[in-house]
Amino acid sequence: MNIWRIALKELLTLRDVKMLVFMIATPVLLVLILGTIVANGFHGSVAVGEIRVLYTNHSQEPILADSWNRFVEQSGRSGIAFERVRASADGKLEVENNRYVGYVEISDTGIKYYGNSRSRVESDIAQSMITAFEDRYRLASAVAKEDPEQAGVLLSGGESTDHVSETSVNGARQPGATDYYAIAMITLIVLYGAMTAAQLIETERKRRTAVRLLASPVTKAEIFAGKVAGNLLQNAIYILVVVLICKYMFNVYWGEHLGLVFLVLLSEIVFALSLGLGFSYIFREKAAGSILMMIIQVGAFVGGSYFPVDALSGFMRTVADFSPLEWTNDALLQIIYADHAAAAVQAISLNIGFSVLLLVAALLIMKRREGL
Amino acid sequence: MNILEIDRLSKTFGDFVAVDQVSLSIGEGEIFGFLGANGAGKSTTIHMIASLLRISKGEIRLLGKDITKHANFAKKNIGIVPQEIAIYEDMTAYENVRFFAGLYGIRGSELKERTLEALEFVGLGDKHAVYPKHFSGGMKRRLNIACAIAHRPKLLIMDEPTVGIDPQSRNHILNSVKKLNEMGCTILYTSHYMEEVEEICTRIAIIDHGKIIAQGTKKELKAIVTDQKNIWIEVRSTENADPGKLREIAGVKQVEIEDRVIKFTSDAGVNNLNKMIQQLMADEIEIRSVEEQEPNLESVFLTLTGRSLRD
Ligand SMILES: Nc1ncnc2c1ncn2[C@@H]1O[C@H](COP(=O)(O)OP(=O)(O)OP(=O)(O)O)[C@@H](O)[C@H]1O
Ligand SMILES: [Mg+2]
Repeated sequence: MNIWRIALKELLTLRDVKMLVFMIATPVLLVLILGTIVANGFHGSVAVGEIRVLYTNHSQEPILADSWNRFVEQSGRSGIAFERVRASADGKLEVENNRYVGYVEISDTGIKYYGNSRSRVESDIAQSMITAFEDRYRLASAVAKEDPEQAGVLLSGGESTDHVSETSVNGARQPGATDYYAIAMITLIVLYGAMTAAQLIETERKRRTAVRLLASPVTKAEIFAGKVAGNLLQNAIYILVVVLICKYMFNVYWGEHLGLVFLVLLSEIVFALSLGLGFSYIFREKAAGSILMMIIQVGAFVGGSYFPVDALSGFMRTVADFSPLEWTNDALLQIIYADHAAAAVQAISLNIGFSVLLLVAALLIMKRREGL
Repeated sequence: MNILEIDRLSKTFGDFVAVDQVSLSIGEGEIFGFLGANGAGKSTTIHMIASLLRISKGEIRLLGKDITKHANFAKKNIGIVPQEIAIYEDMTAYENVRFFAGLYGIRGSELKERTLEALEFVGLGDKHAVYPKHFSGGMKRRLNIACAIAHRPKLLIMDEPTVGIDPQSRNHILNSVKKLNEMGCTILYTSHYMEEVEEICTRIAIIDHGKIIAQGTKKELKAIVTDQKNIWIEVRSTENADPGKLREIAGVKQVEIEDRVIKFTSDAGVNNLNKMIQQLMADEIEIRSVEEQEPNLESVFLTLTGRSLRD
């Protein structure tokens, strides 16, 4: 209860409109500016080009195989290449690698199509051709009536769209400049929160309100927890607003797992908070500020805040792995663009793991001290 | 019954002994004055009473209970007005008082009532919605007090609550202290200002270099100096005055020169006024007035410590 009161008190700073605007406008402007300036260096969308589709045929049905082969031949003449692939895993991978616009899996239960969402237009063309093929094949098999049972199984459901099921393989989608910097700037701003966190307890000492807090029937741990919770909530609110502004005003793509994106960001907020708070106890006040500044700036440089980490190689690439921004940015990119939800686990574990260490250290030091 | 009992209390910072074997007790309903020069150890003592500093040695009991063992009980019954103003500038006066009172477990409509009551009490009732950054020094001091009384402590500790403010705010504060006391609150009042302490306190302790050097009622303290007299001689210029020579006059214990007043502290039994005047005339110092001062706390302090309280 006391923790909540102290946290609420911290949240009152949200009333400061100037502060609110500053906290939200800074990242938004950075995203806008960097997104515009650096746009040329990024792959935005792919021009409509060559259409190449991979397929495998597992069907035991000879008529289907026959018809398909004819269809492939015809399509080849009209400039759309269907190529056979050996394993289905390879097929999806190739699509993810953006070498093919789609992948078709033919089996006795139906025809499955995996489209490449990055090559939306090309993929749509391929998909509609396959749908047309299936319609034609159904007609043909109805006339043939050689094996109605098999044909019935194959074509059960009637509607062709039931058979040509489309699954999006988001893997090949690549962030545009604004998409990229929305992630990079938000994670950077979150990390800068460590600077504020380093002042969290210090401001109570400077204002002398620490004296009042300590004189009241509240434990040091409660004061600590209240301050942490308040700051956490406050930052979470800022970041939520910034993410939504990016989404709805700049059409930044946040992928299919927005909740997970927030969770990763939240873990980074906790990390930044713990880093600042922890260092403010572990080091002398002024030293803590300089060390944090260095960590943030080096971390930002190698961690992908200004350019994608892929651009680094050798030693710098190794250093990058130690940047908290790298692990957070990387997880977000994977969640958003590779549909790789599991990437969240590593980033969240690292962020929360370090946070626990830092907070425990701060708490232990504080308990031994007189005052806060 | 004693509300507060301090028993051989000491506080050391490293090798430095800031509070040295302090013992004193305060009865319920008292306004107890705590006097001492800069760095004497007043705040350090107070901070130990308010559980802000750990006790190095000794014991403090509030209403008979050891405050280290019953920290929550002690904290709930104590209010502290810190020496330095301790308020949030980005919260209104009302929010400040309510926040701190809330930490004492007061809830709901009672919290609201007590908050407004405390603000009313210090004369900030009509300013409850104002941010303290728009307050004068005196108003901030009053808010500083309001934050300490909303939870209705049995013992209110005030650490120099009137430092650096206008006379009007000071009077308001002194009146509030008296009123609070009449309402049943015991007060431990620390100050640099002798007149304040003389005006409001029932009993007084004088602390110097961490040690209590005297304590008692005003009368008892002044009795310490009845064997002394204080003679103040106002002159046109003190340029030629030679304190060394003046100190050699029989019976004179101390000579202090302040502005154009030469202050003699002398043995009451020795008749030496004419010698003082003769010496001044010999030094060609023109005398304007001569008066004998009633003993006051200032002279008590001077006698006991050899220093003036205000430097
Ligand atoms: N945390 C500390 N570490 C070391 N020395 C300290 C500490 N706090 C106080 N002191 C020293 O203890 C002595 C007593 O300080 P204290 O603040 O109690 O004096 P005070 O009587 O309140 O003086 P003032 O009238 O200036 O407020 C001073 O010499 C001070 O420098
Ligand atoms: Mg003091």
